[in-house]
Amino acid sequence: MTDALLSDRRMDPEPNTPAVLLAGATRVFGVAPALVRVDLRIERGETVLIRGPNGAGKSTLLRLIATALSPTYGSGSVFGFDLVTGRDKIRRRTELLGHRTRLYEDLTGAENLRFACALYGLASDGVGAALEHVGLTGAADERVRAYSQGMRQRVAVARAILRRPELLLLDEPYAGLDEAAKDVVDQAVREAGGEGRTVVLATHDPARGGMAGRTLFMDQGRLLPELVAERREPG
Amino acid sequence: MRGPVHSAERALGKLTARRGERVLGLLTVVALSASAILSLIVSPPDADQKNAARLLYIHVPSAWLAYLSFAVVFVASVAYLRTRKIRWDRLAAASAEVGVLFTALAIALGSIWGKPVWGTWWTWDPRLTTTAILLLIYVGYLAVRKLPDSPARRARWAAVVGIVGFVDVPIVHLSVTWWRSLHQGATIRLLGRSTIAPMMLAALLVGVASFTLLYLYLVTLRLRVGRLEERVMAEALSPRLGQPVEMLVEQADEPGEVTVGG
Amino acid sequence: MTLIRQSAVMAAKDLRIEIRGRYALGAVLPFAGTLLIAFGLSLGPGRTLLQETAPGLLWLAVLFASVLSFRRSYESEGEDGALEGLLLAPMDKAAVFLGKAAAVAVQLLALEAVVVLLVAGLFGLSLGGAPAALAAAFLLGTIGLAAVGSLFGVLAESPRAREAVFPLLVLPLATPLLVAGVKATALATTGHGGEAGSWLGLLVAFDAVFLAAGTLVFGHLLED
Repeated sequence: MTDALLSDRRMDPEPNTPAVLLAGATRVFGVAPALVRVDLRIERGETVLIRGPNGAGKSTLLRLIATALSPTYGSGSVFGFDLVTGRDKIRRRTELLGHRTRLYEDLTGAENLRFACALYGLASDGVGAALEHVGLTGAADERVRAYSQGMRQRVAVARAILRRPELLLLDEPYAGLDEAAKDVVDQAVREAGGEGRTVVLATHDPARGGMAGRTLFMDQGRLLPELVAERREPG
Repeated sequence: MRGPVHSAERALGKLTARRGERVLGLLTVVALSASAILSLIVSPPDADQKNAARLLYIHVPSAWLAYLSFAVVFVASVAYLRTRKIRWDRLAAASAEVGVLFTALAIALGSIWGKPVWGTWWTWDPRLTTTAILLLIYVGYLAVRKLPDSPARRARWAAVVGIVGFVDVPIVHLSVTWWRSLHQGATIRLLGRSTIAPMMLAALLVGVASFTLLYLYLVTLRLRVGRLEERVMAEALSPRLGQPVEMLVEQADEPGEVTVGG
Repeated sequence: MTLIRQSAVMAAKDLRIEIRGRYALGAVLPFAGTLLIAFGLSLGPGRTLLQETAPGLLWLAVLFASVLSFRRSYESEGEDGALEGLLLAPMDKAAVFLGKAAAVAVQLLALEAVVVLLVAGLFGLSLGGAPAALAAAFLLGTIGLAAVGSLFGVLAESPRAREAVFPLLVLPLATPLLVAGVKATALATTGHGGEAGSWLGLLVAFDAVFLAAGTLVFGHLLED
């Protein structure tokens, strides 16, 4: 399984395709558009910050890139794989860290991570180290039901660390976190960027701008023309 | 560049569709009238059941439509999952609605017929029971269609129910047939004799044909309503997305094939 | 092979959650018991009528109680968005269906063991006649029920889901299970176990159809 995953990773259709490419991506819920004709190109290895008020469409954009939602109109690709027909290949390379942490209340933090490892076909011997990395070793064998929001988010970050995705999508990862937990998220973002992986971080927290090479703004489902084009080399 | 030719084609398509619809409607009225004359006046009363047997000419066609429409739901559901074209989902929805109507009609007529012939409004006849369960399954199908808020998800969920529901029907029929026959002997036949007078057979066949035309006509109408519903949605969306209505309508049917310009 | 392994991982996860939450013990079993008492009060106290209807009441109690088990099985996926995690995992979504069906089947079998004993005690159903046929009827019936419930239980996790849609859809689809299960149980408990064969065959057909259908189409229910 792990071998299959690795060999699949090498089978990119074209190694130089951008990490994310959207053309007119539009998503509608009923008659309410959540995402309006978004054109977006993110190169491999970039760390991109997306800012905008609540309801601007940031979550929808990230979920669309993660293939949790499909575009109503328009099209797009991730690492050259089509958002609709290449879902499985995109999912192998992408991790979405949303505001819902996707944990099971009646399992412990460690059990949740081992379950995730089994699903993704990863060996679960890294679980202990990942929990230690996010400072949860003490609570690893407590049920998630007793965790605070910050502890849940730490487990989710540990899951992202275990997976080492080529594309890391973070949706308001700082919401409801204390400073220590925010640092854990920041560290995970820097590490991913430092290893040449692609990161897209959506937040309305203005203090996080320093980590990104590029900042995009969204409002009312639209991506605004780039106002801040302060480009830096990632890492 | 293909704009004018394309819109001309579309306009023509619409015109013939509307004309086709009217011709179909006319044919249906003629066929139903012929069926009424044959079954009420021309065909003789049944030897045993007298005039009550005339219910045959609408009960059997209704039951036929019940099964025909759910077979169409099944085929359209498979086609939708394979092609992802929303027009297949519209067809499945239209056929299911018409099907529920005729299934209910078939059960009601069977019940009315059963009263003078069997002396009871309801009997646990395998065909009657299967048809009642069929009705419940497709009422469930229509209920599932109301759940999701995204048209693609609604189409997919409905398609799964449409496929599984149809595959289940033979098993349901087998189970209720055994349920009766293993304990109570042969099924009661609606008609006492296995032979049927030629004139009665003709009336029955015309009845089946005219109901099939009625089915086609109703589905055509329902499909047009479905297209109009989509157009209303597109008109509501058009100013919000800054896209022409025509383009949105076209793309709703061809997901992933057309790209909206930025 | 991967499919089987991933299904087993799903099933083990669900069973662990179930054991921790003790939902079957705390809610499903008492509900089944309540149904049986209600059936007894509405039909009793004449012993013959209760004995004759016992197989039917037994299966009705199992069928209605199972609705709660399926709800619970998918509730744990909805609490914190875990279902989206399953969707985004790069695996065959059939594993989710098969794993959930297996876990619910285990719970239902445990539930049925208790319900059968209750029915034997309350309604005087004799269990000695043909225990193998009786066990086969429950095993096969449970597999089919677990398949149809796990396939459509996911619909209850929709944002606009209404509680009524799940039973409205699943109970009519499960008619063959009810009929075949009741008939096979009746034959097995009245000393005609040998005649239950065709009913068991019908259950096998139902199981095969719904396991195959679920494996093939479940992914379509999960995707956006």
